[in-house]
Amino acid sequence: MTRLLDVGLEQLTVMVYKSGEVAENAINTSLRCFMRGKDATDAVRELSDVLGTMSVEIENKAFELIVKYQPVASDLRIINSYMKIAYDFERYGRYAWDISFTQQKLAKVDKCAVSSELMQKLVEKVSEMVGKSVAALKQHDAELAKSLAVTETEVDELFLAYLNQLSKVRGRSKCVMCNLLVSRYLERIADHTTYVGEAIVYIVTGEKLSLR
Amino acid sequence: MRILNRRKNTIGKAEKAPIEKPVLTGEKMQSISLNAWFGAKQALKDISLSVKANSVTAIIGPSGCGKSTLIRCFNRMHELVRSAKMSGKVLLDGKDIYDSDVDPVLIRRRVGMVFQKPNPFPTMSIYDNVAAGLRLTGMKKGKNLDEIVQRCLEHATLWEEIKDDLKKSGTSISGGQQQRLCIARAIALEPEVILMDEPCSALDPIATAKIEELIVSLKRDYTVVIVTHNMQQAARVSDFTAFLYLGQLIEYGDTEMIFENPKNELTEKYITGKFG
Repeated sequence: MTRLLDVGLEQLTVMVYKSGEVAENAINTSLRCFMRGKDATDAVRELSDVLGTMSVEIENKAFELIVKYQPVASDLRIINSYMKIAYDFERYGRYAWDISFTQQKLAKVDKCAVSSELMQKLVEKVSEMVGKSVAALKQHDAELAKSLAVTETEVDELFLAYLNQLSKVRGRSKCVMCNLLVSRYLERIADHTTYVGEAIVYIVTGEKLSLR
Repeated sequence: MRILNRRKNTIGKAEKAPIEKPVLTGEKMQSISLNAWFGAKQALKDISLSVKANSVTAIIGPSGCGKSTLIRCFNRMHELVRSAKMSGKVLLDGKDIYDSDVDPVLIRRRVGMVFQKPNPFPTMSIYDNVAAGLRLTGMKKGKNLDEIVQRCLEHATLWEEIKDDLKKSGTSISGGQQQRLCIARAIALEPEVILMDEPCSALDPIATAKIEELIVSLKRDYTVVIVTHNMQQAARVSDFTAFLYLGQLIEYGDTEMIFENPKNELTEKYITGKFG
């Protein structure tokens, strides 16, 4: 027998998955253009705005389900976690836009990332983490979600190594300033992927653990 | 009117139940391998459950799972049903209430019961409803009795609403007030445990909220066990929850854990409405 709550949960799930796709698209578009020295400000801004709207819609839907059905156990864990995840996806979008905006303001069409191997690795790792977080959500895969912790540690190490490298650079070029900011945004995105991972683990197992 | 300290009140000249107390385990009541039958039909199967002192324990489960039978075994009301029998132990402060030297009447005084439908004595006034049990124990009319009646009605959060109508019939007040009157009647006898069998099922949401607030406040002085069909009510008022199914204890634990992350799949299915 289908519960009335199931219909609402199905709608909420579709909304969150869609939000994940948009968030992944925003990050990929932003990073791809950053690597190639292309301006993606307008496109990413649009995606970021969409994510902001979706986050509010998901929150409203979640509240509606709580008010109507007073869910418990796995139902409640899903609704609670989807609200958190929607916020994290909104943050993905915002950082994606921050990256594009920083590049556009400071470096325009320079391929700043190419100048640093560490920056390229950071971009690769964070892009991988974003993809994994969205996949883990769609598959409700707690093990995949937990694996984000390992990559997050690697990102932290890369970020610190990159900061160390930048601190030794003499003078201030626009590319250095751009990369400094972007590396920080990437590190924050990696953090948010682990928050998504924690929410997925909570949905699946009920465990409240930290992946950072 | 001066309010007496509940613990100092001796309830007339009545004798206390001849059961040693307390056992310092934090467990007020405990069933050990409890089985119960109605004729050939087994209603409870090997239930071992601890009820912690000064807490609210909710018993949940589908109709016919044995919830009411379980709490009726907790104050020896089960044996009042013809064809009913039981085996196992029910400990109150560590002493088996089914031991041959234990008086079931005294047990029912120490372990009071509030029923699904408010059942004030229809021919008695509000005052007399609360005083009735005390009079049976030998307490005479007077200031002491007045004080106890007031204290019990205050404790049941009913005093302010009916203090000017104490002589009116117990059935002249609303259903929610009647249920609180029944709670006042129960606590007048200074029970240590209060059993409640779906105490809000016949009440509207406002009256239900008042009873729920009362249940939570009662645990300061009493140990409360409540049977409820209302999952949200169990979540709201209880500290511990036990889930029964087909006469068996399926899961027992902190209420928060049961309603957030139950360990047993049957519990999950029941509380999320995926049963059947």
